[in-house]
Amino acid sequence: MTQTLALLLDAYRELSAKKLFWLVLMLSGLVVGVFALLGITPEGVQLAVWNIGDFGGFVNSDNIPPAMFYKAMFSGLGIKFWLTWIASILALVSTASLIPDFIAGGAIELSLSKPISRLRLFLTKYFSGLLFVALQVTIFSAASFLVIGLRGGEWLPGVFLAIPVVVIFFSYLYSFCALVGLITRSTIAALLLTLLFWVFLFCLNITDQTLIQGRELNAMRSEAIAKQIERMEKSADDQLRRDLITEKVSMGEPREQAEAEAREATFTPEQREQANPKLADAREDLNKTRDNAPSWARAAQAARIAKTFFPKTTETTDLLERVLVQDMNLDTADEEPDNNVPSWMRLSRADQQKLAQRIQAAFRQRSVWWVLGTSLGFEALVLGIASWVFVKRDF
Amino acid sequence: MTSSSWAIDLTHVEKVYKGKVHALRGIEMRVHAGEVFGLLGPNGAGKSTLVKILMTVIRATRADGTMLGRPIGDKATLARVGYLPEHHRFPEYLTGGQVLDFFGALSGVPRAERRKRSDELLDLVGMTNWRNHRVKGYSKGMRQRIGIAQALMSDPDLVILDEPTDGVDPVGRRDIRGMVSRLRERGKTVFLNSHLLSELEMVCDRVAILVQGRVASQGTVDDLTRFRQFYEIEVVPTPSGPAADLLRACLPADAAATLSPVGGGRTALRGQLTASTWIELDCATLRVGTQDPATVAPLIDRVRASGLTLRALRPVRPSLEDLFMEAVTDPTTGRTKLPGAESAEARP
Repeated sequence: MTQTLALLLDAYRELSAKKLFWLVLMLSGLVVGVFALLGITPEGVQLAVWNIGDFGGFVNSDNIPPAMFYKAMFSGLGIKFWLTWIASILALVSTASLIPDFIAGGAIELSLSKPISRLRLFLTKYFSGLLFVALQVTIFSAASFLVIGLRGGEWLPGVFLAIPVVVIFFSYLYSFCALVGLITRSTIAALLLTLLFWVFLFCLNITDQTLIQGRELNAMRSEAIAKQIERMEKSADDQLRRDLITEKVSMGEPREQAEAEAREATFTPEQREQANPKLADAREDLNKTRDNAPSWARAAQAARIAKTFFPKTTETTDLLERVLVQDMNLDTADEEPDNNVPSWMRLSRADQQKLAQRIQAAFRQRSVWWVLGTSLGFEALVLGIASWVFVKRDF
Repeated sequence: MTSSSWAIDLTHVEKVYKGKVHALRGIEMRVHAGEVFGLLGPNGAGKSTLVKILMTVIRATRADGTMLGRPIGDKATLARVGYLPEHHRFPEYLTGGQVLDFFGALSGVPRAERRKRSDELLDLVGMTNWRNHRVKGYSKGMRQRIGIAQALMSDPDLVILDEPTDGVDPVGRRDIRGMVSRLRERGKTVFLNSHLLSELEMVCDRVAILVQGRVASQGTVDDLTRFRQFYEIEVVPTPSGPAADLLRACLPADAAATLSPVGGGRTALRGQLTASTWIELDCATLRVGTQDPATVAPLIDRVRASGLTLRALRPVRPSLEDLFMEAVTDPTTGRTKLPGAESAEARP
């Protein structure tokens, strides 16, 4: 325990000796300050005393309660933008040198010559590297907890979930950074390759999201065309019945009898298409979208399988949103859903909202265990390789 | 001597780097408990590799032997060993006091003891006033002093110091020698690895010379030099001819006939006085490889009889440097053996 505490204390001293540590802390304070100055009123969003608009009439306290506004701001901007992007890049810059410096000639001999196993030494050093982010996110969450409580009127201990979530998210990248740093002994290589790896994960996630979007949009189109066909068939049936009544009446049949017979009459698809020529095109569109469905499903499934083997950075940080804003009502838009078939190129606002909900639902079908379990599995594998290299290497 | 009286008892230590470079070729070496032991060797002889194997920094290809009674590589033993690596680099964000506290903690020393010991050791190495200054601002000598204090934090039974006087001024060197002597007085074993042969000669009880991954010789300086003692007869050069020729004429004819150049850029001639006694003629000096004055006496008589004036007659015991040079010199070519270990392929 003495040795572990010494390594943790040393990691804190090393990090706090870096100017970047204090710079990130100051910037975090600035972000929380801006967060505290933001407010939501019936007129829209306010920054201190200035009204900065209601963003199309949707963002105001009539639609979004203040507590929900602050939760969404904390999750969407504070966590997903500030902590998982800007602060994480700065954290990587700060911590990328930890392992290369640790194994540098003249330094590593001192540590390895102590009565502590190499595995424990490396893993303790690795976990102590996560201190940077742990300290930053703890301070940020505590400040945000106060802001949401004081400004939003709701005390949410759930915001402290950000600490494990962001630390776990960062640990995916840091494990990779530690492995590269250990193999190459270079801070620059560790940092650049980790950023490249992060971009790869981002692209993988975008591909997955795009394919799910394609699959859901195709399904939405299919559903909309089916409904449109239903409406067109009903309209064609009405037209055919009217023509039938007219024909029978002209042949001398009493109107009541002709109407009764017309109500009972059934029509073939060909008759309907004759009555409404657009029906054939709609049916062709429906067949096309239904034919496309398996391809979209296969592609989306392939992306999901590919993601299984890699850390899921975005989905990990989304876990916080699941907890904090799961009860946020996204159906409060003024616009009613239209009856048009959604276009690939241009979606109505109602369709955009519907599509967003379907994508969100698809992502939320993925269990927390899948998101965290497979990501931590990757991290465990990377750490396993790094530990093996560290234990076996001659320094 | 029982195995418990050895601080280090190596029977076969071998290291082959990546299957190519044979850095150590079966080291056999013993260090008594409570002595100051010096390890010498040219660059690339394998000294640092051996020390790193003892400290588990490098994994040996084969390591038969013990350190403080435990097998080589046993981590728990390292709690009883203090180590100062060559070219060590302390974290620059730490102060001298924090360095001692951190490495003491890594050695498993409890907090209260760390405080007490760091006060004592900072005083011992003369760094008390620099306790709260960051290492970043230290000179090389100050870093070396803190390094020695760090090695002593766990009150170790065995202290391994790799080039402890590197970068230290003469006053600091004397202080370090004093520290080493005090450690020996307290019953600690000190293992010194240094290039400064004179330093080692002053403090070491025993030495080992490592050449190309092998122990060329080991023992007390006295033991190693006793059998290499010789007499030196120096005459005053005369105007009647070169002193070397006149001295040569003083030798028995069969001995003079054996003289031949020693090579290696030297002008001296070397031969045998008897089967067990070598002679070396170098200008106006004749060296006779014996410890027995009776062997030298007839030669003195011959020199006097030849009319040469004797300037000096002295018994000479070689220095550690002479021993070292002898060990690292190829006897067939007279040249210094190449630095670095031979490749595995070149191994006999």
